[in-house]
Amino acid sequence: MLRASSETADVALDPRAITDPSIDPLVEGGSHLIRFVDAVLGDGSVEASRASLEGALGSDAVVDAAATIANFEMMNRIAEGTGMPVGMGSLKRTEEWRSLIGLDRYRHR
Amino acid sequence: MTQFLEDAPIRVRPEIPALFAREWSRLGAAGSYWSGHQRIELAATAREARAGAEPKNPSLPPAATAAASLLGATPARANRSWVESTIADLGSGPYVEIVGVVSRSAAIDTFHRAIGLPLPLWPGPVAGDPNGIGDPAARSGPAWVPMVGGASIVGALSAVPSEAAAQEDMHGPLYLTYEQMQDLEFVRGLSRRQMELVAARTSAINECFY
Repeated sequence: MLRASSETADVALDPRAITDPSIDPLVEGGSHLIRFVDAVLGDGSVEASRASLEGALGSDAVVDAAATIANFEMMNRIAEGTGMPVGMGSLKRTEEWRSLIGLDRYRHR
Repeated sequence: MTQFLEDAPIRVRPEIPALFAREWSRLGAAGSYWSGHQRIELAATAREARAGAEPKNPSLPPAATAAASLLGATPARANRSWVESTIADLGSGPYVEIVGVVSRSAAIDTFHRAIGLPLPLWPGPVAGDPNGIGDPAARSGPAWVPMVGGASIVGALSAVPSEAAAQEDMHGPLYLTYEQMQDLEFVRGLSRRQMELVAARTSAINECFY
């Protein structure tokens, strides 16, 4: 979906930021968003990253980011717990991005 | 009833606390295969596992405790043989219900952590027996659990209709409705690109290929 939304916006985006947070994703506020996700799901300071994100994009953005993380905490568990396969069409469309950012190492066993 | 997000440090759009109240009502009531008490214990076991703690006073079958722990804390460690073994112990319907209960409670805990609030107290269990309702049209396919109408993420829990409905109920307020997902230029607090960046980073940290 990130690839598709970027094509719609017709703006450059660096997908390597998905797996390497040292890279600027070239999305407005993207580095703040990445730091917020990392703090919420890891051991970083959630308070500091939340304040930083709010300063950059506003409080509604913080709510949407928190809600999106929450939703994908749910969806990731559903996908992993049910062994949801990725369709051949999606695999074909995402081949270049997956290779670029090394996503294939997460495929179901 | 638990009042959600009243002490949030920033304004939260009202559909989110309303959603959490609905989910807490669902969690405390009997489902298709587990009682309200058991559903709360499944969610509590998952929360404890995320905190690195052992389950307290587990009264659930060992396979259910193990499933809640793994799916709660380290879902990327699930694999086909583990799921098949768990289903052999519990049945596919009860296992699918565990996936639903654990995944939704993880979402609610994560939102509270993200927004800077303590994790919510569990609801009180509502007396009643599981209704045993699964969808008889669910069939085995390429995924690891039976589904209705072929493998798709929106139908992942379709073997237990109440769990599939609860998944859809969460998806809209937290992210986008299934219809809104078709709109790649959708903007709320974040643009669609920003939302998808957050989603992708979350999935990468969780080592989720899907």
